[in-house]
Amino acid sequence: MNRLNISHKIEVAFWLLLVGFFFYHSFEFDREIEIYKYGATLWPRTILLLIALAAIGQLLDQRKNGDRSSSNTMAAAHEDSAQDSEIGGLPWYLNTFVLLAIPFFYMNLSALLSLPVVQPFLPEGFNAALPVDDPGSGPVKITCAVVLFVAYLIISWRNHVGAILALPIFFAALLDDFGFYALAPVFIIGVMILMGERRITRMAMIMPLIFGLLLAFFVSLLYVGLPTGNVKPFYTFGNWIVTVLQ
Amino acid sequence: METFNNFLGGTAALFGDPVGIFIFLGGVIGGMLFGAIPGVSMLTLAAILLPFTAHLSPEHGIMLFSVIYCTGVYGGAITAILFNIPGAPENAPTAFDGYPMTLQGKAGKAVGAAVMCSAIGGTVSCVIMMFATAAIADWAISAFGPPEIFALVFFGLAVAASVGAKTFWKGWLSIMAGLMIAVVGLDPVGGIERYNFDMPYLAAGIHFIPTILGFFAVSEIFVQAEKKATGAYKAPKLSVDFPTFKELWAHKIAVVRSIIIGFFCGILPGIGATLAAFMGYNEAARWSKDRLKFGTGQIEGVISSETANNSATGAAMIPLLALGLPGGALTAMMVGVFQMHDMEPGPLVFLNSPDLVWVVFAAMFFANLSILLVGFLEAKTIVNLLRIPFQYLAPMILLLATVGAYAVRGLTIDIVVMFVAGVAGFFLRRSGYSVAGIILGLILGKIGEQTFAQAMQMLHFEFSGFLSRPIALGLLIAGAITIFGSIYGAFFKKQPVPTAAQDDSAQSL
Repeated sequence: MNRLNISHKIEVAFWLLLVGFFFYHSFEFDREIEIYKYGATLWPRTILLLIALAAIGQLLDQRKNGDRSSSNTMAAAHEDSAQDSEIGGLPWYLNTFVLLAIPFFYMNLSALLSLPVVQPFLPEGFNAALPVDDPGSGPVKITCAVVLFVAYLIISWRNHVGAILALPIFFAALLDDFGFYALAPVFIIGVMILMGERRITRMAMIMPLIFGLLLAFFVSLLYVGLPTGNVKPFYTFGNWIVTVLQ
Repeated sequence: METFNNFLGGTAALFGDPVGIFIFLGGVIGGMLFGAIPGVSMLTLAAILLPFTAHLSPEHGIMLFSVIYCTGVYGGAITAILFNIPGAPENAPTAFDGYPMTLQGKAGKAVGAAVMCSAIGGTVSCVIMMFATAAIADWAISAFGPPEIFALVFFGLAVAASVGAKTFWKGWLSIMAGLMIAVVGLDPVGGIERYNFDMPYLAAGIHFIPTILGFFAVSEIFVQAEKKATGAYKAPKLSVDFPTFKELWAHKIAVVRSIIIGFFCGILPGIGATLAAFMGYNEAARWSKDRLKFGTGQIEGVISSETANNSATGAAMIPLLALGLPGGALTAMMVGVFQMHDMEPGPLVFLNSPDLVWVVFAAMFFANLSILLVGFLEAKTIVNLLRIPFQYLAPMILLLATVGAYAVRGLTIDIVVMFVAGVAGFFLRRSGYSVAGIILGLILGKIGEQTFAQAMQMLHFEFSGFLSRPIALGLLIAGAITIFGSIYGAFFKKQPVPTAAQDDSAQSL
């Protein structure tokens, strides 16, 4: 009996597309190695073949047994996976995908500002590469970060889980420019709010506690160098903290 | 008798020197604490301390690292059990059942089992190490060449595919995904760049520390956050009830089996405690009457994993000291300590520096015993971390993971990789895939490919060469039987009805 549903088909399509993508790109390093006749491609292509076989095997198994297919030793551990959740559905996935893409827009800011569509809106002589030593880069980075953050807030308004998934990546994407010391307090508060904390006094007490403990342990005690950023005044603030603590 | 006298001599040298005692205690406490702090590990501590060992004597430097190794492997179990964050890859299988136990209010029992079994596994392994280093090293090194190590990796992956995920297929796909991640970077024979997509970061490969942090720590936060958002979150229940002797005695066979597996895996260069822990866990699951309940909070899962990984620590010193071959990251750092003192680990160490060898052996023995004493005290206090509400714990763990990922190479892209791995782990776990399988594939992928290449060169590119190597052949056949057995089961066996054990705790992987 055919017990396949749409998610089974999407799953196998995902794996097969992945195999196709990596197989295609394996030709980029398909070169001979003098001492090893199999070259650099045998290993990855064998893995890709096994992935394709396993994906097809899974499809056939699901066709026969549906979601109860070949329960494993730890099948019980996964029984509640994705069952009681309110998330899911195409709109949710699309919304989450856009949210997850926002940090990558920031990480590729230079490339975006170099696009011919954007060029007419930029002042003459503007360096789209946004070099660290160009004083004009800082305000542009701050403006773009704010715009993207506002976009993040608007898009995540009705997608709580998507917001939680995207916030840490957004935080990581901004670290190079704005530094750990300036962003971490905002990040702590953001995570607390997303986890359901609404009491402002509690947040005002807990945030400095977490931040202070981290700095005391890693920066003061262990001398771990964390990113200080490169955009003023965040860079100045980060360096000031490091100087005070060390 | 000579061994016993040497051991007494090492003990006297260790505890007869106040500086030695101070370094020993510092290593015991430091290893446990760094192992237990989410986001950092014993490797972080070792990396921080490495430059300072130049100011210590070689005995003290190597002793410090060996003590950190023993207690750090145990320390990682604490976070694996309490927060589903393995302190190191070798603690990953501990989380499989340890974390569900925490969610069921049995954290104390899981931590107690980890303390007891880490101490037992490590101590027994140390005793065997003292008596048998020379003989075992000779046998293992002569019997285990690249074909055998490749066959062992294959067998380990085949067994791991049959546990950890919702189905055999998902387990296999998880492991293959891990192997593919390991392919990114330079190929181990010709140094050809693979799948770097013109990104300099990818040319060096994807580092396993940010990936592990992402797949375990970050994805766990996301899973719990989803439960918070949907109202399904239940705070873990606090308990400090340690397991009774009777409860542990009931699993004596699992302990003995894991000691043997752990010791055997630990002795092989490049394999070490990670495969030991996975194989110890897998074999426990395979032989258990409650096979289908593994992953839902079985104490035997914690026992087998923790016994095996600590058992591997003593064994890992054998190839290091006898042949100068490090089995993992920490033993590789020990080679660095040797080199900082113009020494080379290897057979000559036994001849030229017997004092060093026996001080290290004695220190490891007592470090494992001290897990029992200090570990219980530490566990009693650290379990109280569960009292912290999740909305405060989550930012703490995420920031600790951030620092941990950044500290490896000082690259912010590693933090991005970690959070992306966290998102991937979140979706994969929802679909029934095994993040532990991905990590195992990632870690063993490089070893597997390298040993396969070496094996084929050794065998003149004739696959039939495996037929003349009985150990390799045996392991390959065992691996193939495991895989085909699972495939046969998938298509021809009637599927079991789900058990009642599927409570809320279950979504731990």
